[in-house]
Amino acid sequence: MTLSRVGYGVFLAAAAFLSTVSLARAADCSPKVPAGDLIRPGTLVMSTNPTLPPLQYVDNSGTLKGMRIELGTDIAKRLCLVADYIQIDFDAMIPGLETGRWDMINTGIFFTPARTKIMYMIPYENQAISISVRNDEKGRITKPDDLSGKSVGVEIGGFEEAQTRALDAALRQKGMPGLTIHTFDTYAIAYQALAAGQVDAVTSIDGVAEQYQAQGAFPRAVSGMDPTPVALAFKNKELAEDVVAVLDAMKKDGSYDKLFASYGVPPFAGGFKLYGPGL
Amino acid sequence: MQGFNWAGFFEYLGNLYLFEGALTTIWLTAVSITVGLVLGFILALMRLSRPALLRVPALFYIWLFRGTPLLVQLIVIYTGLPQFGIRLSVVESALLGLSLNEAAYLAEVVRAGIEAVPSGQVKAAQALGLRDRQVMRYVVMPQALRIIVPPLGNSVNGLLKTTSITSVISMEELLRRTQILIQERFMVLELFAVAALYYLLMTTAWDFVQRRIERHYGRPYNAAAAALEQR
Repeated sequence: MTLSRVGYGVFLAAAAFLSTVSLARAADCSPKVPAGDLIRPGTLVMSTNPTLPPLQYVDNSGTLKGMRIELGTDIAKRLCLVADYIQIDFDAMIPGLETGRWDMINTGIFFTPARTKIMYMIPYENQAISISVRNDEKGRITKPDDLSGKSVGVEIGGFEEAQTRALDAALRQKGMPGLTIHTFDTYAIAYQALAAGQVDAVTSIDGVAEQYQAQGAFPRAVSGMDPTPVALAFKNKELAEDVVAVLDAMKKDGSYDKLFASYGVPPFAGGFKLYGPGL
Repeated sequence: MQGFNWAGFFEYLGNLYLFEGALTTIWLTAVSITVGLVLGFILALMRLSRPALLRVPALFYIWLFRGTPLLVQLIVIYTGLPQFGIRLSVVESALLGLSLNEAAYLAEVVRAGIEAVPSGQVKAAQALGLRDRQVMRYVVMPQALRIIVPPLGNSVNGLLKTTSITSVISMEELLRRTQILIQERFMVLELFAVAALYYLLMTTAWDFVQRRIERHYGRPYNAAAAALEQR
């Protein structure tokens, strides 16, 4: 009985000690963003779809990893906020931002004029579209028009899907057979369908296609199509402006370039500018 | 936050692309429930038969297909079978997955109906000299069907919505087409409201059909109950 009392006492002491340690850490740095600009005070809630290695993915133990994950965590740290990632499919992200489920979309959302009408965006990374094929089709597809008459898999709801449909329309206008487009929930399933021979090609972003090529299974037949920047997206303008300042600081002290170089992604040229409704 | 865009809602209500998606949902359901019911009936009979050669495969099938998610089954059929040289199209994979999955559940529903028929009925029929196949066709099944129809109707109702899972292998049924259209102008609530309305119309139409079927198979009981009351 005495032993369990001692044990309980040790537990209480340890709990008290640990809580003071964490409190101390939090007290070092008070949030640089006012509570009114955040969904949860002291926390930067970010949405991401971790199906795009090496930019954002989940490893074997379920840990979120990738260049964009590191970037988001660093931004949160510099704002003295706790980074909280919500993993969700892409097509739920913009509605979620609008209804206040997260502060920031950190999933490499493509920068388009239509999107800047409904949210604030900071372009920070260059991306383009690639076409991946199976090893045995490597020589046959060398330019987008070679896809005419073929079946193409793509992730639903993004810029890639829109550009694939645009390519289909362009081919039909030229009088060539169009594409048979298969929309999948995630790139993982689309590439699985490619492996099984159910589709002839998959359109995805350069970063992802390059990773799959490096793994040896799916060579990149075409890359660099429709180069467009990707952005961080926000509903709250003040928060967005704070993040622009953080990105500028990261560029200045070299950590931004270092992060991109470590993942082999060319850094964004020029400064970080905020776009959005009324700007 | 914007309010509900009624103009957008009515516009999408008349959208042909969505309407075709709804038709896809209907025929996916119709084919799958038909094939599933036939296969389920066969499985139920195998499950109830004495020789292990018939009973064990049925038990195994029901255990496997009820025990794994439909989503997994669809992905295995669509992207796994090609590794064994069987490449099915999206439509074929969707129908196969839905039918095989539904058959496992319906087998249990049919079994419940058959087992609910009192054994005295079977014994009386055999005493009259009817053969096994005649007993099943003229005595057991008409009584079993009365028990089977409500849970079967439940399955049809559920299957109408479950077909949306086939979007995982890129099948363009109603819900997938709704998601595709959302990317046009981000009218999320309005589009999902249209989809919900379509599903409601389909399930209500089925409810109507189900009630007619129940009345048909319940006729002898209703007549007997009415006769008893009159006495």
